[in-house]
Amino acid sequence: MHIVELKNVCKTYPAFRLQNVSFGLEGGKITGFIGRNGAGKTTTIKSMLNLIHTDSGEISFFGLSLFGHEGEIKQRLGYSTGTVSWYPRKTIREIADVTRSFYPTWDEEAYRKYLTLFALDESKKPIELSEGMKVKFNLLLALSHRAEILILDEPTSGLDPFSRDELLELFKTLKDHGVTILFSTHIISDLERCADNIVYISGGEIRASCSMADFLQKCGRPGESLEEIFLRLEKEARA
Amino acid sequence: MTALLKKEMRLSASILSYLFLAFALMTLLPGYPILCGVFFITLGIFQSFQSAREANDIVYSALLPVAKRDVVKGKFLFSAFIELTGFLMMAALTLVRMTLLADSPLYRGNALMNANPFFLGTALLIFGLFNLIFVGGFFKTAYKFARPFVTYIAACFLCIGAAEALHHFPGLEALNAFGFEHPALQLALLLGGAAAYILLTFCAYRMACARFEKIDL
Repeated sequence: MHIVELKNVCKTYPAFRLQNVSFGLEGGKITGFIGRNGAGKTTTIKSMLNLIHTDSGEISFFGLSLFGHEGEIKQRLGYSTGTVSWYPRKTIREIADVTRSFYPTWDEEAYRKYLTLFALDESKKPIELSEGMKVKFNLLLALSHRAEILILDEPTSGLDPFSRDELLELFKTLKDHGVTILFSTHIISDLERCADNIVYISGGEIRASCSMADFLQKCGRPGESLEEIFLRLEKEARA
Repeated sequence: MTALLKKEMRLSASILSYLFLAFALMTLLPGYPILCGVFFITLGIFQSFQSAREANDIVYSALLPVAKRDVVKGKFLFSAFIELTGFLMMAALTLVRMTLLADSPLYRGNALMNANPFFLGTALLIFGLFNLIFVGGFFKTAYKFARPFVTYIAACFLCIGAAEALHHFPGLEALNAFGFEHPALQLALLLGGAAAYILLTFCAYRMACARFEKIDL
C-alpha cells in the first residue's frame, strides 16, 4: 500500500506535456525523483500540491483524494522548494509566527533545533539570506510541524558540500522516524547517498518507478554507475 | 479564518492599507467630493495586493494547510476588514455632521454631496464594486492587476460623479438631506447600499474562487 499515489496525471502546456504520470511512494522511505531540467519534476510536484490544475488523473495521500481533502492532507505534508523567497522583507521570526498558527502539530522544540542546526538567525529577512540559507529556511518551516511526508523540490541545490552532507544525513534520520520523503534532484550523487527508491521522469513521462536495486538491475549494464545509466537513458530517449 | 486574516495582516498587507484609512476623514471636508475618500481607502488595499505579489504570497498561502479557495477567502477577509473599518470611521464622522454640525454654514453652503446615509450607502456600493471588479478580477490570473484596477477606477469615478450629480436633478433634492431630513428615504438608500455591498462581494468571492481553482501557480 502506497502512502502517496498518482494515477494517470496529465497536464498540457503549450510547449510541454505531462503524460499519464503514475507512481506511488512507500511509507517511511526516501524516494529520489530524478530527471533533467524541464523533464516535468516540478510540474509533477506542483500537481501533488494542487498548485496547478491538472487535465486528468488522480492524486491521493493517506488513501484520501487530494481533491476534497486538501487542507487535511496539507496538515500532514511538508514542502520545500529550492530558493524561492517568501516575504523577502519580513523576518524569519514573523514568518514562522504566522505559519505556526496554521499547524496544530507545530513542534516548537523541532523548530528551535533546526534553527540552530541550520545556523539561521530569526531576526534576518529572506532578502538577507544566501541562496543556500534560503533553502534551509524553507526546510526549517517544512520540518517544524511534524510532517509525515516531505516533498522537497531540489532541496540540495545551492547548498555547499557540508550543508548537503548534513541535509542528506538529516533525511536518513527523518526516515528512521517514519517520515516519507520525496525529493527531486538532478544531482545523482544525492540519490546514491540516501534514496531507497527512484522515480525517473523524462520528457513528461515516467520511465521508471522502483527500488534503487531494481533500477540498477533493470536499467543498468555491467560496470555502469548510476550517473552513466541516466546519461545513457537520456541519450537514448533523445535519439 | 482568524489565522488567514492574521496572515494577511502581518505578512501580506502594506502599511499603506492602514494609513490610507485616514482618508475617511475626508468625510469632514466641505466643498469636496467626499466619496473620493472611499477611492483612497481602496487604493490602500490595492497597495497590499501589490506588496503580496512581490512577496510570492499567493503561492505561500496555497501551500499552507488550507483549501485553495481559502487563499481567496483570506484576501476578501482582509479587503472587507479595511473597507468596513473605513466605513465605520466614515459613519461616525457622518453622524457628527448630521448632529453637531447639521446647521454649520460651512456645510449648509456646500454645493457638493452632503455626509448623510445616502453618502454611506454609495460608499458601500463603491466598496462592493472594488471587490467585484478589482479583487474578483485579480483572481483571474492571481498576478495581473492593472486592467482590473483601471476598470475599477473608471467605475468608481462614474459612481462618484453620478452620486454627486443626482441631487441637482429636479425631484431628487432629498438625496442631499441635511441632518435627519427624509429619514425613510435616506435609510432605504443606506440599506440599499449595504445590500449591494453584500451581493457584489458575495458574487465576487464566488467568481474569484472558481477562477483561482483553474489557474496554475
